[in-house]
Amino acid sequence: MSSFHLQIVTPDGEFFDGPAERVKVRTINGDVAILAGHIPYVTALGTGEASVTVDGEVRKAAASGGMLSVTPEVVRVVATTFEWAEDIDLDRAKRAKEKAEERIKKARDAKELELAKVKLSRALVRINVGK
Amino acid sequence: MAASSMKDIKLRIKSVESTMQITKAMELVASSKVRKAKQHAERTRPYFTTLYATLSDIAENNREFSSVYVQDRPVHKTCYVIIAGDRGLAGGYNANLFRAMEEHRSGRDCVALPIGKKAVEYCLRNNIPMLTQAYSLVEKVSLGDCAAIAGLLCKAFREGEFDELNMAYTNFVSMLSQQPAVMKLLPLHYEQQAGGERTPEAVTLFEPSSGEVFNAIVPGYVTGLLYGALAESEASEQSARRAAMDAASKNAGEMIESLSLHYNRARQAAITQEITEIVAGAEN
Repeated sequence: MSSFHLQIVTPDGEFFDGPAERVKVRTINGDVAILAGHIPYVTALGTGEASVTVDGEVRKAAASGGMLSVTPEVVRVVATTFEWAEDIDLDRAKRAKEKAEERIKKARDAKELELAKVKLSRALVRINVGK
Repeated sequence: MAASSMKDIKLRIKSVESTMQITKAMELVASSKVRKAKQHAERTRPYFTTLYATLSDIAENNREFSSVYVQDRPVHKTCYVIIAGDRGLAGGYNANLFRAMEEHRSGRDCVALPIGKKAVEYCLRNNIPMLTQAYSLVEKVSLGDCAAIAGLLCKAFREGEFDELNMAYTNFVSMLSQQPAVMKLLPLHYEQQAGGERTPEAVTLFEPSSGEVFNAIVPGYVTGLLYGALAESEASEQSARRAAMDAASKNAGEMIESLSLHYNRARQAAITQEITEIVAGAEN
């Protein structure tokens, strides 16, 4: 399978830089998979599961926020958070989920509720991916 | 008289010695902090540069200006995010930044969002209205705070409170060199490449639409740049402090040396005088 140059960066550093065959991410409109030879394309990322295929091997990850940009030279995933499945701390994610659920119950205004919901969805994705 | 001047010199030496102890300690603290800050800055740098490069690519290929973030409007009011330190004693770190700021903002009507105690003081001194003073401690600003700041700035920009957003921070070039810079964040506008007409292949597909994509990614973009600039500034501050304290310790050492020389001279003069007096007394 033909490959393309993929870069994945977050504020915590670079997570991937090299050739890949396929990258799948959750955008604000749903899942999108990019293969080699895609036309220039830009979209914003939501919160969800991501996966990268290198040499036929699929690596899963949890990603949220940021953007996906495809240019003829390079495909860039510029995410706010990105964690490979093997790096996810399940206990921490579960605790974050409980905390977020509690916050949703206690939320006093729409803004707090929104924030807690975002946190909850992030924790759920991490639990799903990390399992 | 000689005795009192000897005592004065002794006191000076003592005071310089204790100052030197402080500067030495500060230097050591700064060197351990600079190592951490440097690592942090180097880790975030790929994100910082990739984010900027990506947005430049996108904005360059953009042909649709439905999002408020890409519209150029007449600039009535400029907003500055000023990232400075919490403390002085860091050589020219804060002063250099404020000089760059001063140059950039001259003749403009501006508001500011200071980060760091010195930045707040600068705004108060120059009567620059502040959007918020909540981030007066630069060391405590986290990624979450950056997101909050970016949200605040983007909202104010959308609502027309200001028409241009700049960020003043210090680039960490090396341990010995730090470069203050003012960077334009909003509106997104990049130099059009010469050549004009583009081939259809070069047109970028935005999904769901250019406007929606920009509205979704700009707050993240501002957050990322803020976070990167904070990391750069932190590394710059610590290395500037380390260099300044190193110089101060060296100066203190030199001062002690020359004071010791004076002290020994005064001591020698006192002894000589005493001998002369005794000899004179014996001769009589």
